[in-house]
This record gives sequence, structure tokens and C-alpha cells, in this order.
Amino acid sequence: MKSKKLLKIKILIIFILIFFNLKNIVMASTFSEEQTINITKNLRCLICQGQTIHESNSDFAESMKKYIKGEVENGKTEEEIFSSLVEKYGQWIVYDPGISRNTLLLWALPLLLFLIGGAIIGRRILKKI
Amino acid sequence: MKKNNLVISDKTFGLIGFQFFFVFISFISLIYSFIISDFSNETVYNNSHTTKPLFYKITGTWGNHEGSLLLWLLVLTGVLLGFILKSRNEPNNYRLLTTLFQQIIIIGFFIFVLKTSNPFNGIFPVQTEGLGLNPILQDPALGIHPPILYLGYVGTSIIFSAALASMISNYVNKSWAKNIKFWILFSWIFLTGGILLGSIWAYYELGWGGFWFWDPVENVSLMPWLSLTALLHCILTLEKRELFKKWTIVLCIITFALSMVGTFLVRSGILNSVHTFANDPSRGIYILTFLLVLVLLSFVIFVIYENKNFTQKSEIFTLSKETAVLINNWFILYFLSVVLIGTIYPIFLDVILDEQISVGPPFYNKLILPFLIPFVLFMSIGPSMKWIKTNFKIGVKSFLVIVFTLILSFITVYYIGEKNIFVLLLFVGFFYLLFKSLDQFREKTKNFAQIFSHTGFSLLLISILLNSFSSKEIVKNIQVGESFTLKNEKIIFKKIAVVKEKNYESIIGFFEVLDEKNKIINLQPEIRIYNEPEMATSEASIKTTLFKDRFITINIIKDQNFFNVRYQHKPFMIWIWISTLIIILGGMFAIFRKNKKVNI
Repeated sequence: MKSKKLLKIKILIIFILIFFNLKNIVMASTFSEEQTINITKNLRCLICQGQTIHESNSDFAESMKKYIKGEVENGKTEEEIFSSLVEKYGQWIVYDPGISRNTLLLWALPLLLFLIGGAIIGRRILKKI
Repeated sequence: MKKNNLVISDKTFGLIGFQFFFVFISFISLIYSFIISDFSNETVYNNSHTTKPLFYKITGTWGNHEGSLLLWLLVLTGVLLGFILKSRNEPNNYRLLTTLFQQIIIIGFFIFVLKTSNPFNGIFPVQTEGLGLNPILQDPALGIHPPILYLGYVGTSIIFSAALASMISNYVNKSWAKNIKFWILFSWIFLTGGILLGSIWAYYELGWGGFWFWDPVENVSLMPWLSLTALLHCILTLEKRELFKKWTIVLCIITFALSMVGTFLVRSGILNSVHTFANDPSRGIYILTFLLVLVLLSFVIFVIYENKNFTQKSEIFTLSKETAVLINNWFILYFLSVVLIGTIYPIFLDVILDEQISVGPPFYNKLILPFLIPFVLFMSIGPSMKWIKTNFKIGVKSFLVIVFTLILSFITVYYIGEKNIFVLLLFVGFFYLLFKSLDQFREKTKNFAQIFSHTGFSLLLISILLNSFSSKEIVKNIQVGESFTLKNEKIIFKKIAVVKEKNYESIIGFFEVLDEKNKIINLQPEIRIYNEPEMATSEASIKTTLFKDRFITINIIKDQNFFNVRYQHKPFMIWIWISTLIIILGGMFAIFRKNKKVNI
């Protein structure tokens, strides 16, 4: 009985930690310059190999940087910019896969494995209490 | 029977020496072909050029698919020879069976090399000039990166072979653990070193000041590292307490399987796009099939011998080092699953649903960072646990450590101006680990291996965190003579010079940085235009100080007199490298300690 309780507490702690992390990501910075960098760091340069738009100096990346800076200055939020880009270029352009029907397993599988692993280990070491 | 066996083994072990010798000869021949630029050889023709400096002619040997596979073979045969030489006092059956399994791997790769990637293919008519080596690979760190990485990567093969052999010969016990521990440490040290070199290269060569991007090619080297780290902790438990036998064997198999998966992912071209893979599938399919055969083989052996030879008498108490090792494995395997799933999920999604997604840093940050906090807390208290059973006493000293940790974390978070409880928690965890690790220097029986590697790991996490939160950068398009500022520094673009080298032409920008105290720092970033193949690379100029790197790169803007200048402050960069070296030092202590015991 007690082992179950402990497991529940562990799960609760994990969720709290994840929650804090999500909050962290939502926090927006104040400067448009910084925000542009934050956005372009999470965008793939479509014509390069494994580079972000922020890092790349290709024509495509340069024009994207200008476009995004304009959008930020127009008062668009990070989320609005991302979703309009995804609509135009597909999910491939953003480095954050996001949670959708296609990516549910991507996020859930590791967490599930963690819980299963925890259950196996918990049973083994908490038997004696 | 016994005697017969000995005769067989003597001959076999002699042949292993020959095998290594011949692979070594062919590897040297390939290097020689590169040195003399023998363009009748297809590999040399595709990857070399007469104007290249000698060093890059040599490193070009393994800077391509065919040559790097020959290096694979060299390490495969080399570690087997090393294993046989180092295991003279082990049971004969165990040594023979290890040889057998290693030979299966070696033969598999021999066939692979001969069938799909022969480095000695000739071309006719003989060419007078080669196609050259990709300029971004012409770099000292990347020159020695593959051999170091491969020693770790392919070194795991002998762990795999020995694990299967020990199962069959009923040798999964303390002495086996002692014997194989050397090879686990060997692979782990070289793999860590290889990853370090790769990161250093990425930092100054790719020109954007990052050192890790969760790129699939990086991930495939991290996966065996994680599994080796878990295995390392398990093998210590097996050595001391004869526990976790099955799990240790499973980890040995997983580790090598991950190395093979990595080879498959990198060599098949599937990472760039599933479509390039479809164009030339022979290499990828061969490795994949071979991997499946090996995994199946080990699975069958595991199932047959699992109940027969594994008896586990000892119990585990909740508060013990055994528990700590289990928790360590639990978290490391979770991190491993995140990296593995993050790397291969997009491939499956592309093949099955024809949907392309990118899994980048945000994914890994979200799934790894929150778990890092409990992980480092367990890691902090784990080492002070005793084997079998621990009685916990919370004394004044441990209380002081906590208070000190909290104060330092608050100061740090305040200093970098990050008002976020999650960041604070990360720092608390990392600093706590640091102090708890350092605290062990006071103990009577010091375990230097563990103290150094854990201290190094905590320093690494702290430096990475500080680096990612207080990096500053500015990007400007300016002309010669102009200047700009970042924080309290003034950066002046003094002049431009063009220098002609043997294999490239270089445009050097001369910059002066006036820091807060008006001290002048000179920086000279370059743009290199290589001749063979024609390609421009940007060489960063970096001035390293104890607490901060100044990092500058320039780029040409088409049809304009402006240069695109990127200037960055990268705090604690050098500590990322130093702390990784401390981790490696910890591994070396472990090897050294083992040798000392043998002498006594």
C-alpha cells in the first residue's frame, strides 16, 4: 500500500516540475531584438543543413530574420508568428515539435517509460518497508 | 579435453594478432595512399587534393565513409587483441567465446566493407587531381575526433562479446565484473573525449558559438555514452555485491546495439532525408540487418542462459548504495529514451505518415531539465550511501551544506537576473551536487574516481546553465572603420587584409575591442575561401578568459561593401571544457586504481 502512495507522490512531483518548466518557456522577453533572436533560434533554415535561421547567413535566413523582426515590432506574439510559419512552411520549420496528434507519442513514450521504470524499481526496493 | 582446448586457444589467440596486424597494414596503406595522393584509388580521389597540408591528407583517411569503416575494423580487431592480452588469467572458455562473438562482428564488418564500401577501389583512367576534402573538416580538432570517438564507440563491441561469453560460460560474477570494468572505462573515457572534441570543433568552426545542438549526429554519440554511464555504475555493484546480473548483461547488449544504431543512422544517409536513403539503400539495409541478427542472437542466448546461470541471493535494502545505483540507472535510461525517441521518431513519422517534423532543443529541454533536478539530488546523496545498508544521520555539517547551497544559488540567480523559480531549483540542485561531491574529500577512504567525475559533472551542468543564461550577442552589418557596442564594450572594425595560403585564400578582419577598463583586445576573424572544393568557411576568432569568451565571426554580404559581424560574450565557456576533462580524469582514476590493486 505504502509503495503506491510513494509512487503517487513521485508522479505529482514530476508534474509540478513540468508545469514550472512550461511556465518558464511562456515567459516573454521585453526587447524585440531579443525576442527575434529567441524566435529565430527555434526555426530551421530550410535551405541549410541542420542550422537554425539565427545561425545561418543564407539569403533565406536573412530575409526571414527581417520578416520576423517586423512581425515582432508589429506586436505579434511568439505563438502567432510560429503558427503562421507552420501554416506556410509546415511543421518542419520549427524545432519545437509541439503537442499534436502526430507528436503525442513522441512526448508520451519517454514519460511512460520513466513511470514503468519507476514502478519496477519501486517494487524492488520498497518491498521491505 | 581441457588440454585440447588450450591448444585451440593458443592458436586462436595467435591468429588474432595476425588479424590485427593485417588490418593495421591495410589501414597504413590507405594512409600512405592519401599521403602520396595516389589518385588511382577511388577513395583518395574523392576525398583528397595535392594542395592539402600533410596533416589533412592523413586525417582525410578517416574523413570519409570507406576510410572510417576501415578504422572501425581496426578498432574492432584492436580491442579484441587488447582484451586477449589483458585477460590471461581469465577462464579459457570465456576468452574463447568472447573471441568467437567478436569475430562474428568482425566478419560482418569485413563483408560490409568488401561488398559496399571497399576503400581500395581503383579508378581508370588514373586521375591527376583529387576532388578535395570538405573544408569544414580541415581542422585539427576534427582531425583527431574520429579515432578518439571510434575507440570509445567501437570499444563497446568487446563489452558486448564478453557479456555474451560470460553468460554461456557461467562467468557472470565478481571476477568477470573486474575484468570487463576496464573495457567499460576504456570505452567511456574515449567516448567522453570524442564527444568533447566534437563539441569544441562545433564551437569554433561552425561559427555561431554553440557547442551542442541536439543534432541527430550528436545524439547518436550521446546515446551509447548514457548507456555506458549506467553500465559503469552497474558493473561496480556487480563487482562489490554480485547484484543486477541480468540487468548488467542487458545494458552491455544495449550499449553496443546503440553504437550500431548510430552507425546505421549516420552511414545510411537516413538522417538527412529518408529519400536519400531510398536512393542508395544497400549500406543502410546491410547494417540494419546485421544489427538485427546480433540483437536476435544475444536475445536467444539471454533467454537460454537466463535462468540457468543467474542465481541472485543478496537482498536489497531501501537505504543502500544498491538503491542509489538503481535510481541512477532509472534516470539515465529515461534520458536515454528521450534522446533515442527524439532522434528516431521523426524518421518513423516521415516513413509512415509522410509528415516531416523537427525535434530540436525545445523538446529535449522540456523533457530533460525538469528531471535533472531530482537526478542530481539523488546523485548528491548516493555516494554517501553504504553498500548493503545505510543508517542516515543528518548532522550539523550536512545542514550547513544545504544553507550554503541555497545562499549561493540565490546570489547566482540574482546576478544573472533570472527571476524564475525553475532556474533557481536547477542551480540549487547543481550546487548541492558540487558541494556534496567536494565534501567527500574529507572522508577517510576517498574514492577519487567518483569524486572527480561527479564534481566534473556538476561543474559541467553549472557552466552550461550559466553559459546559456548569460550569453550576450550582437549582429551588425558594418563597413571598415565603423564600430558598435555590446554592454560596456566598444568594438571597432579596423581594417581588412587578404592572405593567400596553399589551399585557401583568407580574408582577415582586424577588430579592436575596448573593454570596461579601456583595455584593448585584438580579434581577427577570417573568411576562408578554399580552392578544392571551392567553398567559403568562416573562422571565428576567440579570446578566452577565465570567466568569459569573446567570440567574433564575419561574413561577406553579397554585392555590398558591408560585412556581417557577429560578436558574442560566451561566459564560462572554458569551464565546460575543463569540467569535461575533470570527468575524464575521474575515469582515469578508476582505471589506475584497478591496476594498483592487481599489483598488490
